[in-house]
Amino acid sequence: MTSYSNKWKKKKLSNMIITAVLLVAGLLMVAPFIYMISVSLERTANLIPPFPPRIIPEDLSSFNYMLAFESGEIITAYLNSFITTSGGVILGVITSLLGGYAFSKGNFKGKKVIFVIVLSTMMIPFQTRLIPMHRMFYNFGLTNTYWAIILPRMLDGFGILLCKQFFDQLPNSLREAAQIDGGTELNIFRRVFLPLTGPITATLVILSFMACWNDFLWPLIALTKNSLQTIPVYMSSFATQDSNGYLAGLTMATATLSILPIVLVFLALQKYIIESIALSGIKGE
Amino acid sequence: MQPTMKTISSKNHKKMKEQSYVWYLFLLPALIGIILFMVYPVLESFRLSFFSSNGVKETFVGISNYTQLILKEEVFWKAIFNTFYMAIFQVAIAVPLGFVIATLINNLPHFKDLFKVLFFIPYITSLVAASMVFMYLFHPEMGPINYLLESIGLPGINWLSDPLSAKWAVIILGIWNWMGFVIVICIANLQTIPAQLYEAAEIDGANSFQKFAYITTPKMMPTFSFLLIMGFIRTLQRFGETYTIGGLEGSPMRSLYTIVGFIYDRGFNGTEYGLASAAAYILFMIIMVVTLINMKLSKMNV
Repeated sequence: MTSYSNKWKKKKLSNMIITAVLLVAGLLMVAPFIYMISVSLERTANLIPPFPPRIIPEDLSSFNYMLAFESGEIITAYLNSFITTSGGVILGVITSLLGGYAFSKGNFKGKKVIFVIVLSTMMIPFQTRLIPMHRMFYNFGLTNTYWAIILPRMLDGFGILLCKQFFDQLPNSLREAAQIDGGTELNIFRRVFLPLTGPITATLVILSFMACWNDFLWPLIALTKNSLQTIPVYMSSFATQDSNGYLAGLTMATATLSILPIVLVFLALQKYIIESIALSGIKGE
Repeated sequence: MQPTMKTISSKNHKKMKEQSYVWYLFLLPALIGIILFMVYPVLESFRLSFFSSNGVKETFVGISNYTQLILKEEVFWKAIFNTFYMAIFQVAIAVPLGFVIATLINNLPHFKDLFKVLFFIPYITSLVAASMVFMYLFHPEMGPINYLLESIGLPGINWLSDPLSAKWAVIILGIWNWMGFVIVICIANLQTIPAQLYEAAEIDGANSFQKFAYITTPKMMPTFSFLLIMGFIRTLQRFGETYTIGGLEGSPMRSLYTIVGFIYDRGFNGTEYGLASAAAYILFMIIMVVTLINMKLSKMNV
């Protein structure tokens, strides 16, 4: 009896130690965010970055945020990111749902071959396609338009794979019942299957939102006009202008604003986002 | 009775056949995407790699783009070295460390979700934005990292102005950004290990180290292999953070010049489309080979 309670006590103690260690490590992970926010709220941070570093600003003010908004460039960048991200997400989700459904429930010539091609698209790095993609969009006069960012999202091999696996889990009897009632394939998809796709659609939206919002290389190449910069491209051009490090306050305010939307989305949906990522890792094997 | 059955089934068969065309309609957006944004660019890039091209004038040059890269372009080799250096250390540190943290979190009775969130937030942050913050964190005189080092009696480091420490700054940024992914994937897969295995081992008198070494680790081998592959694919394509911190030339002294940095620099800054396409194909080959090696190694271990 005593040895049992001793063991239990020992376990409790070790849990406390582990929790404390993880808490320190976890705080280290969020420390850059804390530093970023605290410097952004320091009025005098543009003359001298606060030193020694402190968490609570001495001269608390929203001055740097006013400065960040002053030129209006960041609002344009928000708008550009918002349009290209939502367009890309919608296009990618539609393509993946329809494609995944066809590969799961369809019966047609070339199914296996096309599916292998879809899977192999995941292996080819984007940079291999970069130059021809740019020349193609340039020749069609589509560089420096939102289409350049939105249209390539029509290709999402991983999204198609996730959707195929999702539809594979739904019983074929659903289709057969609807077929006897004489429904066309399109109607069967729309009436029977589409209402069931809530969870997989949410996963696709989350994964594709994160990919689109943070995408850097392609928008950097395809959108060269300042008025069309997305948030990451705007941030990067901002960083190269400020390489002397004398505008810490403004830089941190801009950085805070640039990650705010995705952090808010994450905090609101953290459970689903973490589940989606975990799913992508388990399926990815 | 029999004839009617036959007519029905043949009628159904005909209907099925007609309807098989409908599936191509479902696939249409995906097919357009594959042809326009995958098949065409991959082939065109391959063709371009044998040409000298500035986008207007093109001349066939055979394999001389490849030989130039391999034999004459020292900066290309530098880019390959830098990319691999940062990739290997980032993956070699983030995977084991993330796995240990995942195991610790997974065994806790409370706060699992809180810790997952804490470690995962960096992963959702854009690397470009994070680079800007880290440039200040690594500031030699006014940065918190050197302040911390000096306050425990260690010398400060000229992080971003010295070639070696600049690479390590990027590696640290990469680990910070990517480890949350490792942790979440590890926890998800740890939870798929059946509890009976541990119970049976306990009955046989195994201690927690033995359980970790003989049950957890072997069961996690496919996960490690997946993480190595994902990690190398990600880090071999490194660009956003090195470009933000080191600019077009990957300063200081091209220590942050990566393969993708080379492709961007020569392809879009120098409009050497043929040479950049050849470099892109070499990157493709490298990623393929690294992925295949990882797959082979993990098969041998299992």
